[in-house]
Amino acid sequence: METDNAPAVAEEAPEKEIDLTPVREILDNLPGPERRYLIPTLQKIQNVYRYLPDPALKLVISKLGISRAQIYGVISFYPQLLIEEPGKYIFKLCYGTACFVKGAKIIADKIYDSYHIRAGETDKDKIFTLQTASCLGNCGAAPMAIVGDDTHGTIDPEKTLELLSSYRDRKDEPEEVEEAAQE
Amino acid sequence: MSTTVKKTVPFKLNGKEVTAPEGMVIIEAAKQHGVEITNLCYNRNLKPFAACRTCMVEVHVDGKKELVYSCTHPVAEGMEVTTNTQETDRYNKACLEMLLVEHPLDCPICDKSGVCPLQDNTEMLSLKDGRFEINRRNEPSIKSNPIIEFYLNRCIMCGLCVRACDETQGVQALDFHKRGMKVGIGTANGEPLDCEFCGQCITVCPTGALMDMTSSARGLAALFTSTDTTCNYCSWGCSLRLESKKGEVLRIEAHMEADVGINQSNLCAKGRFGHGIIHNDQRIQTPLMNQGGKFKEISWHEALEIIAERARSTVNRSGPETVAALGGEKITNEEAYLFQKLFRGVLGSNQVTNLAHLRAPYLNRFLLDCFDNGIRSKPITELEEADVVLAFNSDLPSEYPVGGNSVRKSAIFCGADVIIANPRQVVFHNESPVDIRLQYRLGSDAWVAGRLSRILIDNALIDTAKVKAAVGNYDALVESLSPYTAEETRKHTGLDDETLTRAATRFARNADRFILVGNDILDSGQGEATLDALLNLAILAHTGGEGSVSIYPPREHCNSQGVNDMGMTPDHLPGYLSPEDPAALSHLAQTWGADSLSFDQAPLARDLFENCATGKIKFLYIAGEDPAQSFYKGDLVKDALTTVPFLVVQDTFMTETAQMADIVLPTATFAEKDGSYTNMSRHVQRVAAATLPQGTSKPDFDIFLDLSAALGQAFDYSSATEVQQEIERAAAIYKGMFPGSRSLQWAPEKSGERPGFRTGKASAPAAAKDGYPFRLISNNHMFHIGTYSQYAPALVEIGPECVAEIHPEDAAALGIGEGDRIVVSSEASQVEVPARLSTVSAKGTVHIPKNWPAVPVNRLRNGEEGPVSVRVTRAG
Repeated sequence: METDNAPAVAEEAPEKEIDLTPVREILDNLPGPERRYLIPTLQKIQNVYRYLPDPALKLVISKLGISRAQIYGVISFYPQLLIEEPGKYIFKLCYGTACFVKGAKIIADKIYDSYHIRAGETDKDKIFTLQTASCLGNCGAAPMAIVGDDTHGTIDPEKTLELLSSYRDRKDEPEEVEEAAQE
Repeated sequence: MSTTVKKTVPFKLNGKEVTAPEGMVIIEAAKQHGVEITNLCYNRNLKPFAACRTCMVEVHVDGKKELVYSCTHPVAEGMEVTTNTQETDRYNKACLEMLLVEHPLDCPICDKSGVCPLQDNTEMLSLKDGRFEINRRNEPSIKSNPIIEFYLNRCIMCGLCVRACDETQGVQALDFHKRGMKVGIGTANGEPLDCEFCGQCITVCPTGALMDMTSSARGLAALFTSTDTTCNYCSWGCSLRLESKKGEVLRIEAHMEADVGINQSNLCAKGRFGHGIIHNDQRIQTPLMNQGGKFKEISWHEALEIIAERARSTVNRSGPETVAALGGEKITNEEAYLFQKLFRGVLGSNQVTNLAHLRAPYLNRFLLDCFDNGIRSKPITELEEADVVLAFNSDLPSEYPVGGNSVRKSAIFCGADVIIANPRQVVFHNESPVDIRLQYRLGSDAWVAGRLSRILIDNALIDTAKVKAAVGNYDALVESLSPYTAEETRKHTGLDDETLTRAATRFARNADRFILVGNDILDSGQGEATLDALLNLAILAHTGGEGSVSIYPPREHCNSQGVNDMGMTPDHLPGYLSPEDPAALSHLAQTWGADSLSFDQAPLARDLFENCATGKIKFLYIAGEDPAQSFYKGDLVKDALTTVPFLVVQDTFMTETAQMADIVLPTATFAEKDGSYTNMSRHVQRVAAATLPQGTSKPDFDIFLDLSAALGQAFDYSSATEVQQEIERAAAIYKGMFPGSRSLQWAPEKSGERPGFRTGKASAPAAAKDGYPFRLISNNHMFHIGTYSQYAPALVEIGPECVAEIHPEDAAALGIGEGDRIVVSSEASQVEVPARLSTVSAKGTVHIPKNWPAVPVNRLRNGEEGPVSVRVTRAG
């Protein structure tokens, strides 16, 4: 056998090896292998990995007896469910009626100018993932956004950039960001 | 019909008193009474869905008015249904109007133009101009797989493709993705389609959003010439519609009308995309003569003169029994009839046969045994209303894909029990509430069937007293079943008795049962014993149970049944009459206008190849068959074909067998000839020419006529119809069978005259040979059948490579990874193939499809009857 395959394997190597033990636990603790438990299962998996790694989905597919097309059909229906690892911070920008008329679109454009991300995208440093939401239920503070557990009301384009910078420069959880930030 | 009887309810349709079965949706009931209701997403083969919202009707129940969707609302007693009221039209029209905001009106270049439900509905609702601004999608066409193009701009989100893929095909390769304005159908994450490529999604798509890329034609489907014919691949016998333009067959579609053909608008990859064999440059162009290994082109006249001269001189010199014929299982009934008539009537030789009969002469006997026991078996069209389906050693999605479609439908609409007995863990997704899998040890087929019979008797699941009274040798059966204890069965089959009992119990209930037997049993080494055991099981249920039993002998090719019916065996004249029966012979002689017929000759054709190899047969004529590739005794065939002094092969392609012939004649494909095929459930179905034979090729039919003339006893037929009329006279079972556009199932006039179980001794499955720890399973690949389909480019594109499948644990033990090349060797031979790891294959087995000439799997078998013992090693 030729050794041509060796470099190809090496190229794939940087793909992080994922520990699937939590997925197996989640699946083992299901009341039954039925499709109706799909969405809670996906949410639980996402809570572990922050997204839905493909090897985990494969386990779900075989456990619940659904097809790949069907599981992706469900995932693509819910913007909350992610198939790619998001940035360190998920920036949820409210696109509800009140926020929209108060300039959420302008804020999104401003973010794009600085970070080159649209809704659903992650910047190249893997720090921010932008999401838009239909209404985050805080119309009094429109336009508003949520980052992690923090709510930020009455933001404007400039304030938003400052806000993003403050998150970007934060050093509280260095272990995950370090590598990416150095690039 | 299912044994569950549905009540008929009266209701009013547009003021008229009508009736329909309870539970039928309004749209279908209306259709049966000639009232068409607009719709875009309804399909009678699928569950109601209500996506398009254009089928609203007005109903009055107890004087109360309701507006309902007719595709989901069932009829009820006393209901008054009114279609096309001003109000419903307004609603239906509005929905259609909105669809037309997005749908591109690129009709001149659309595949569905003229056969487009969107066009039809627009017309039915007299929608002239929409109120809304046009806002078209503009997404590029997706061509990420070789066969099916997705042009989603035309998609109207009816969901028919998604549902057909799921409910009919059980594959679920498609689903809706995203939502709102961005919603679209597609594969997971936009990955290339990886499925069974049945193309059902193309058939059901109402708008041309899914297109057949194997066809070069685009636009105005309504202008194509349609020819209704029968598929020439497997023995299921689907009705096809060949669509041609300017004499060229461009694509194949299914009939969409209800009750046409046995396939109810379903097709598989082979049937739909296998048309590449018709217009194909690799076809043999002219008659050829072998001159010392080189083929020289000769004229038809020359070729036929040489054959006739040689046949005549062989008969004169060595006697009529030294000329033999091997009829392919893909020639039509009329051709098979003429072929045997040429040999029996003109040359005086009874040495005619076909490969299936050579391999398993018990298949025909089994068929006749069923009739003797009064098991006539229902038309296979009723499979979709079955209550219990037992798929015995048949991988339905590969062997009978369209049969699988019917089973899934019966599971959805009749709640049928699905019992799958197979040595592999075959994939068969279905919605049956009772889905029992009996994954038994390879080679123990007869034990499984025997044990099921014994459970029926032991647990009194059937009325044994009734059986005893009806069938003379009942006690002998009970006696012969004594070794089939739970313990012994577990030892041989690996199955626990609880599962077997469950299967037997479901099978024994009051039900319409269908037993689909796979061709794989012929390789089990227990083919005859298995069929006998299944026959016994069927007799028990038929005689001692309520409902019905249908069982069909396994048949591989499109006319495997028909060539036997036509007497293409040394043991049967046309219509299964015996060549030793003087009355039958004189009847045939009379039909043929001969003085008398008698075949007082050694049955050399029973061991055709052995007798060729030993020189007893001196002239062999093969029509449309490639035994060098397909017969299980590879070496013997090669020896036979090189030894026989004169070999004629007529075929469409230059097969391995044709390469060894003295004279090669080019024949036409199924799309270029008229006649009929008989499918595995004995439906006699029409084959019709859609185009003229390519080049100088001729239908086998014409060749036999020309040859009879060259032999000085010209057959006087001007068409296939005239031969059919003669067949009706010669073979009583075919009386009145020849089809117009609808097919009929032949059955003998009398049946149930000689009931009797077939009892034999139980034999344990043979153990693997020393040094060869694995067992080989080899059958047809999902996209191929025989080696014929290898000439269809589209089928090669989706099934390009022969891959061996082994269990991951076996692979791990041998250090074999996914895609690694492995060598599979038996005592006789070896092949090298890439490996795929899958738990579908049981541990200790390796599965290799037999359809690649480059991977001669039959050489591994080389005459061995049971499961072949093989060794698996990593290549290199």
